[in-house]
Amino acid sequence: MDTQFLVSLSIILATFALYIGIAIYNKAKETSEFYVAGRGVPPIFNGMAIGADWMSAASFIGMAGTIMLLGYDGLAYIMGWTGGYLLLTFLLAPQLRKYGRYTVPEFIGDRFDSHTARVIAALCTIIISFTYSIGQLSGSGVVIGRLFEIDAKLGTMIGVVLIAFYAAFGGMKGITWTQVAQYVILIIAYLIPVIFMALQLTGNPMPWISYGELVGKMGELDRELGISEYFAPFTNGTKWQFLALMFTLMAGTAGLPHVIVRFYTVSTMKAARWSGAWALLFIGLLYLSAPAYAAFSRFILMTQVAGSKITELPAWTKTWVDTGKLQVADGNGDGVLQWKELIISNDIVVMATPEIANLGMFVIGLVAAGAMAAALSTAGGLMIAISSAFAHDIFYRVLKPDSTEKTRLSVARWSIVIATLLAGVIALNPPGAITQIVAWAFALATGTFFPALVLGVWWKRSNSQGVIAGLLVGLGVTLAYIFAAKYGGFTILGIIDTGAGVFGATAAFAANIIVSLMTAAPSQKIQEEVMDLRYPEQMVYKDGEVWMNDDGSKSV
Amino acid sequence: MKKIDKKVADSYFREKTRNMIIYFAIGFLASFGVVFFAEPLSDITINGFPFHYFMGAQGAVLTFIILLFVNAKMGDAIDRKYGIDENKNEQISSGKVLDH
Repeated sequence: MDTQFLVSLSIILATFALYIGIAIYNKAKETSEFYVAGRGVPPIFNGMAIGADWMSAASFIGMAGTIMLLGYDGLAYIMGWTGGYLLLTFLLAPQLRKYGRYTVPEFIGDRFDSHTARVIAALCTIIISFTYSIGQLSGSGVVIGRLFEIDAKLGTMIGVVLIAFYAAFGGMKGITWTQVAQYVILIIAYLIPVIFMALQLTGNPMPWISYGELVGKMGELDRELGISEYFAPFTNGTKWQFLALMFTLMAGTAGLPHVIVRFYTVSTMKAARWSGAWALLFIGLLYLSAPAYAAFSRFILMTQVAGSKITELPAWTKTWVDTGKLQVADGNGDGVLQWKELIISNDIVVMATPEIANLGMFVIGLVAAGAMAAALSTAGGLMIAISSAFAHDIFYRVLKPDSTEKTRLSVARWSIVIATLLAGVIALNPPGAITQIVAWAFALATGTFFPALVLGVWWKRSNSQGVIAGLLVGLGVTLAYIFAAKYGGFTILGIIDTGAGVFGATAAFAANIIVSLMTAAPSQKIQEEVMDLRYPEQMVYKDGEVWMNDDGSKSV
Repeated sequence: MKKIDKKVADSYFREKTRNMIIYFAIGFLASFGVVFFAEPLSDITINGFPFHYFMGAQGAVLTFIILLFVNAKMGDAIDRKYGIDENKNEQISSGKVLDH
């Protein structure tokens, strides 16, 4: 055991103790605390919790590397994953908050007055969140495994036990405040290395302002090497693929159940609006820094590693070559490592940067703790979404509507434990690359929830037959396109599996609208409830008129 | 409870919807619009970046953040204009939700 191990271990253990302490302090005692944190979270803290919930191991570990390898084409992730908050905050969040339920399937079930729609929506929630959580768990396994030099599988199991414990115990209330702490840790861990690199390379501590010149310089280096420029657009796919992927990531963001639920934890529509703004500000801090990370790392690799003698490579390259994530084979046998002979995996860029830039032990440990925070916070939110879809929407609303609060809480807690263990077992041998699994989860959310929720909120004529048809057609078309593009080589305009959501969403909107118009309109009561979502809480839509609730009376 | 003139209620909804359409149009231009015209825009340089790269890495994200804060602020202003009191919203909201 060396000093580095001890430093990293103590930082990680300190953060774990903090998360568990917060979860115990904020133990959920009632169902409303377990599912929606008692609906009293202030917008600015909810913004941080959304940020931690949202930014996963893929964002923290993988995104900078993806941008480094793909150049401009990787920016579809930056714009897609931030632009989704416009759709979410304008079209859905305040309206869903006013409707006032616990979960997304519950909104769909009550708005369309259909248990069939409720169960389909609950199953979609479980499929999407479960797929997504596999990526988080195997991500946390990689971090723990590398840090403690144990098998990544054992690392995964440690992560699983931790998540199962604090999610089941604290419920949404515990998770919310844990996520606030996790956001603070992950953003500090992400910004410190990139600020130090900016100082080293450009003499300016503001990476966001100073990396532009490096991007230009790298374009010149690329031209000398005769490869396409770093910033050249559409070198890894067509323009249509870029646009389709960006749309899928945006609409998927607006349709992810575990993110939408966070907007139920605030008190009013106004608070939901402000939560969205704060959330994107906090998320933007990381997303604006990721391309800087990418540029600095690529610049160091191009200028300080490529071109040096194979025998004189910096010491940090050796450890990463050992993990198989970095290859430095001298292909043409001239004794010098050429840029083209250097092959780097996208998930080591952030993890290796503290070593590349020689930032010392404390920063290396901090980055590991940040990566863990990102994986754990997202996994916690996902587990609550899965548990509520099962325990609340299927068990309580459909199967056993007369069960006591105590039974429901224990079903919710046990379903978290079981779902976490199940996801953990699958994460031991993940069925595909993590980024790919995550992209599929987004395509599925785009094809199912996004159309169902937008039409449910904005179009009173949409009815239960329409939403059922829309959910099933969207799911079917998205899955069919993913498989056809991935395994059948079938593509339209060069759009590959990751952009499948654009077709799923189009089909789902069309199916929902056509079937709704062909069948009977929803009841007067439901149509009035939908009209009511246009106005703030104080204005009430009733009997074709709008009323002002001046005395704030609760009986409406 | 007192009835609100239909015109007033409609104009509340229209103002909010109009603003939302403007925000979406700006957000769309900053992201999809710039991507669509990425090649011709790449000749312009801003702070060392080619323009299309700048918009993808920073410009679009900053635009989104600003739009969300403008939306939150403007939403408050519209609420005030129509005499909406946030404290009453909170009271009504906490009584109206389905906590079960």
